[in-house]
Amino acid sequence: MRPSARTTLDNRKVLTLILAGAFLWGLLQVEWSRGVFHAGGLAAFGDLLSSIGRPEVSDGIVGLAFREAWRTVAYAVSGLTIALFIGFPIGVIGSGILTGNRWLKALNVGWARFVLAFFRSIHELVWAWLFVATFGLSPMAAVLAIGIPYGGILGRVYAELLQDVPEAPLKALRSAGASEWRVFWHGRLPMASPDILSYTFYRLECGIRAAAVMGFVGLGGLGHQIQLALQDLAYERIWTFMAFLVVLIVLVDIWSSMVRRRVTA
Amino acid sequence: MNSGVTEKPTRLPGAVGLLKLRVTFLRASVLVALALVMASWLFTLGADRAQGVPFFSGETLSRAWDFIQALLGIGSSSTPAFLRLSEWGEMWPLAYKTLAMSVLGIGFASLVALATFMFGARNVMTGELAPYGQRGMGALFLAVRGFFIITRGIPELIWALMIVFMFSPGIIAGAVALGIHNSGILGKLAAEIVEGLDPGPIRALRSAGAGRMQVLVYGVLPQALPRFLTFLLYRWEVIIRATIVVGFVAAGGLGMEFRLAMSHFHYTSVTLILIWYLILVIAVDLAAAGLRRLAR
Repeated sequence: MRPSARTTLDNRKVLTLILAGAFLWGLLQVEWSRGVFHAGGLAAFGDLLSSIGRPEVSDGIVGLAFREAWRTVAYAVSGLTIALFIGFPIGVIGSGILTGNRWLKALNVGWARFVLAFFRSIHELVWAWLFVATFGLSPMAAVLAIGIPYGGILGRVYAELLQDVPEAPLKALRSAGASEWRVFWHGRLPMASPDILSYTFYRLECGIRAAAVMGFVGLGGLGHQIQLALQDLAYERIWTFMAFLVVLIVLVDIWSSMVRRRVTA
Repeated sequence: MNSGVTEKPTRLPGAVGLLKLRVTFLRASVLVALALVMASWLFTLGADRAQGVPFFSGETLSRAWDFIQALLGIGSSSTPAFLRLSEWGEMWPLAYKTLAMSVLGIGFASLVALATFMFGARNVMTGELAPYGQRGMGALFLAVRGFFIITRGIPELIWALMIVFMFSPGIIAGAVALGIHNSGILGKLAAEIVEGLDPGPIRALRSAGAGRMQVLVYGVLPQALPRFLTFLLYRWEVIIRATIVVGFVAAGGLGMEFRLAMSHFHYTSVTLILIWYLILVIAVDLAAAGLRRLAR
């Protein structure tokens, strides 16, 4: 016991040193000579911060904020549905649980994992920009841009959750003569589904954030209004939209954590 | 699911009542989620139909094919950027800066999270592990949790839009934006780790008269640090993917170049930037996986 305890301690020290060294290396890459703040930057930021207490609450702005908040939710939810349709089937294939043959299994796991990794490697806003360049400013560009990388993430997590279920009940099903498909349907899926539901709800919260920044490539939403207000230097208006964004995310966060607590308890 | 309710409620009133509440809240949530899905798709499809050329039309496939050809440089007379070695060389410093931005971002986030997470843990501040006779801890706890919620709730890109008001463009502005957003994420995770800790060692330290700092160093950190480091490395994988997006605004690294190439329709350069971006993402995923093994 003793030597192994010592090595983990040493490993952790090594890791801490590596991380600290990497951070120092990062600091050396900054062009400090060019100055970190730009002229008048601090004053402008002070103006921005000092208007936090008086957000603009005219009828027009609040109405707009409600419409844009709904657009943000709608893109996030539509995108997450696409992600489910991508992530669940490819995740099941990528977990390799349905194929008995060893070679076929390696092949299926291989391509499914590769596709999922590729989907989630590219940030949703980069996908969005590529889709806008392809299809124009269709809302489907935002929905696909959320759906594809989130499908990649959901697929990987679903695959891991499906693999991690306890083996004993599955063995019992198999010895009762159940096919692999039935073992999946009556064994693995019911055992993994609380965690699957829980993680999907967590992703909804992330999807709202992702949908909020779709405005950056011209697809609307709360982020777009914040960007416009920043460009107009309309500081009071920024905080109205910011408040809507934070409240929206907090509401979804509360909802999803309530669901998750009940599902996995 | 309903069969449990038909049993005599006198037997286990508490448990049955609890079960009923659980099921109904979940059912309501699933129904609300389904209603949201339908309403969202109605909205999305309606807004799509209002477009000049809707997505669901015959032209979508041909437009996608055109764009892929443009990315690959098919049908263009000049050599695609991703086949020219000089262009690869020109992108290298940008990729290097992007990597530095991601490291700085996770570094800033970790420093802020490490400085605040103890104040965001309920058990240490107001719960069973709180020291007696200290007032104002509840308010501090709420303030720190509020800070986590706001920094986490606002996406990194919007932080970047605000940060460039103050900072000169460059990797430090991008790293600060990434750092703010992720400090809320890491801080909340670290606080939740502390809330889930085994209270035994901490209680023993307390009863031996240890102060807050000693409890942190000898009771909390040894238990919590491995998991915190694991989370931190997972977050690094997310941050490297976000650097390009923050770079759109903060003008550091590959993001700015991507933005320029897109707006000048240099699509083969876009492909080259995406290749560099994928190389960074894969390298960071592998490095983080290797380092995670050290954390265990």
